[in-house]
Amino acid sequence: MRTSNVSYLVKKGISSVWKNFIMSFASFSIMLVSLLQISCAILLMLNINIIMGNIEDTNQIVIYAKDNITDAQLQHIGDVLRSNGNLTDVRYYSKEEALEDFRKDMAEYADLLQYLEENPMPETYLARIVDISNIRATAAAVSGIDGVEQVKVPYEFAESLTNIRSTFTVIIIAVLLTLIVVSIVIVSNTIRTSVFSRRSEITIMKYVGATNGFIKLPFFVEGCFVGILSGAAAWGLTWFIYESIFSLFVGNVTLWQMFGFVNMIPFSSVCWIVLAINCVAGALMGAAGTLISMGKYLKA
Amino acid sequence: MIEMKNVNVHYSSGVDALVDINLRINEGEFVFIVGESGAGKSTLMKLMMRELVPSSGRVFVNGYSLAKMKSRKVAKFRRSIGMVFQDFRLIQDYTVYENVAFVLRIADKSARMIRQRVPYVLNLVGLGAKAKSKTRELSGGEQQRVAIARALANDPGLLIVDEPTGNLDPKRSYELVGLLKEINSCGTTVVMITHEHNLVRYFGGRIINLEKGEITFDETIGGNDEDE
Repeated sequence: MRTSNVSYLVKKGISSVWKNFIMSFASFSIMLVSLLQISCAILLMLNINIIMGNIEDTNQIVIYAKDNITDAQLQHIGDVLRSNGNLTDVRYYSKEEALEDFRKDMAEYADLLQYLEENPMPETYLARIVDISNIRATAAAVSGIDGVEQVKVPYEFAESLTNIRSTFTVIIIAVLLTLIVVSIVIVSNTIRTSVFSRRSEITIMKYVGATNGFIKLPFFVEGCFVGILSGAAAWGLTWFIYESIFSLFVGNVTLWQMFGFVNMIPFSSVCWIVLAINCVAGALMGAAGTLISMGKYLKA
Repeated sequence: MIEMKNVNVHYSSGVDALVDINLRINEGEFVFIVGESGAGKSTLMKLMMRELVPSSGRVFVNGYSLAKMKSRKVAKFRRSIGMVFQDFRLIQDYTVYENVAFVLRIADKSARMIRQRVPYVLNLVGLGAKAKSKTRELSGGEQQRVAIARALANDPGLLIVDEPTGNLDPKRSYELVGLLKEINSCGTTVVMITHEHNLVRYFGGRIINLEKGEITFDETIGGNDEDE
């Protein structure tokens, strides 16, 4: 098809948005609500991931060395722990340091503790797990290091967190998929009403020899255009809502702690991604809705 | 140009709309297809534009075999003919110019060609001054002329006109058929479907009469306009 005719059809599609304003507005509103829900769900998922990450960061495993371990063996344990990709913040915790802390914690028994003839505390390393879903494999690897007596691992904490994260992910993906399907169904029904009101125009085009592609193109452009407008509007609304919630937390430490936030994602850091997702999703929903609704009228 | 061989159209309601139709219309002819309501005229027109396929028999129009034509080829076939409908079937939101230009865009003609051709056909039907008017603002007669201009835009060899005078007063009806005769005199084959016997008798030419789905008369008669 010639460029001049393609550009004519594109202009026709865009001008139809204003000519069929009421139906376009109906499609716009439906898509706006759907995209708003989708972008809020995406932001919620991102923030839940951050919260879960923060909680994960509080986990710690404790590695006890055997009694009478040599300095070389102790150094070797530290080297192996630091080279493990799933461990971070590896820190040596000497038996002297441990006894000192123990004395502080047990201050009321200071009289008894002064009779200790030798330091009963083991040489210890502390470390944090990077990916708690691999905690069992990491613990097994650490236990196998020469000179390690025992590894204390918060298995229950780790497994609870892993389960909570998986459940949240499944719920949000299910909600997102449901929203997308419901949106496409509602949008295609709304657009079907719009297409129905212009069925005679489509029939005339068929009678004078227009191909399906030629007839679809302006409707397709119209659907995409309304979708992009809805996406942009949903993005603006999401920004407003998100910033309102964000400002509630700013300067309110109690709220931050209550919800487990250390740092809620600022909208400015994801705004272009959210805009792109909204516009692409809007364009796809508009185009899909249009094409699904037009099929019936193209058989004339 | 148009050939039908042993064509039958049987509707699921049990009605035999066309029965054993054998017909040949050659290039350059002007043919009236007449008959009372329900005689099968509209069914015949639907066959010619491939809106309908026959229950049996073969239909050839402009070199296309329509009975077994695949759906994706229908658009190309329809671009090779000019169709004028009783109810005009113009896009009401378009201007007169846009309605005519539309068929040229469908045929993927250049912008330059469209700029030249549309005013030419509009002038041919006497509507050059109304190019920018919205179709819905025109009278019935003017809309029918726009429909004719649209049908002529692609310079088709065959023009099929369905009851073009159904919505016009007698004076406009005679003017319109006069215009179609002029178009025919330039070499375009014209098939006009009508139930107005007075008009047919006045202009004369080849008359095909349908009754209960069968051709009962197919002859050429002289018209009164030739006497004038």
